[in-house]
Amino acid sequence: MSITNATFVIERVLNASPARVFAAYASLEAKSAWFKAPSDIVTLDRDFDFRVGGKERFRARWPSGMTSDFQATYHDIVENERIILVYDLFHNDEKLSVSLQTLELRPEGGRTRLIHTEQGSYFSGGMEAVKGREHGTAWHVDNLVALLEGKDARAFT
Amino acid sequence: MLQYQSEPLDLAFQALSDPGRRAMVERLSFGPASVSELAKPLPMTLSAVVQHLKVLEEAGLVKSEKVGRVRTCTLEIKTMTQVERWIAERKRFWEQQYDQLEAYLAQTAAEENDR
Repeated sequence: MSITNATFVIERVLNASPARVFAAYASLEAKSAWFKAPSDIVTLDRDFDFRVGGKERFRARWPSGMTSDFQATYHDIVENERIILVYDLFHNDEKLSVSLQTLELRPEGGRTRLIHTEQGSYFSGGMEAVKGREHGTAWHVDNLVALLEGKDARAFT
Repeated sequence: MLQYQSEPLDLAFQALSDPGRRAMVERLSFGPASVSELAKPLPMTLSAVVQHLKVLEEAGLVKSEKVGRVRTCTLEIKTMTQVERWIAERKRFWEQQYDQLEAYLAQTAAEENDR
């Protein structure tokens, strides 16, 4: 099995204070309001323990029958400043990757620059399971349609 | 429905969904091999290997060339680097989450102003 190591960075300037952005990550209620899935996925397991050493899990079954499993451990949390976690991603119980995710919140005027740095080891033996990724787009489109119709997309809960 | 996955990528994933074909790709990752060399460690007939090889060739993962009586297979490295596309999809996944985060922050800001 071969491994590909890769890093990507996402930067966003969010129209909210670091305290509000941090709060959006810090409770299951708030996180579920934006960490959204299409209405036709079935949540199988959902754990959320937001503290250093605490674990988050989201396991779900997609319409195709595929299951995805996100298993994270929080490694560092500094209120309103940063969150560092490590997560494994499984599709159909096959581990696809192990990733270190660092989220930095930097105040910028009354706003927040969110810097998401993700360093991952990707197991290419799990590539075939990636077919399920098309659901990522379907999910996005579903949410767009829901918004256009004035409905709320359903959250991961 | 958005169509962002190219057909070649679908073919590649389908081709790799079979453990026998994955074993062949793994073997070829060490270097070119003849069809009989590929077949030797596998619990399948030579004609089954030829069939699997055809699927891998159609997916653009493997190419083969016949010289005299020996058909030699090599990995098409270009297609394998599509793991990079998979990583790009992971990035896209998080970008989508942040679209939702922005919408959530805008919505909750409005609620706070209403109070």
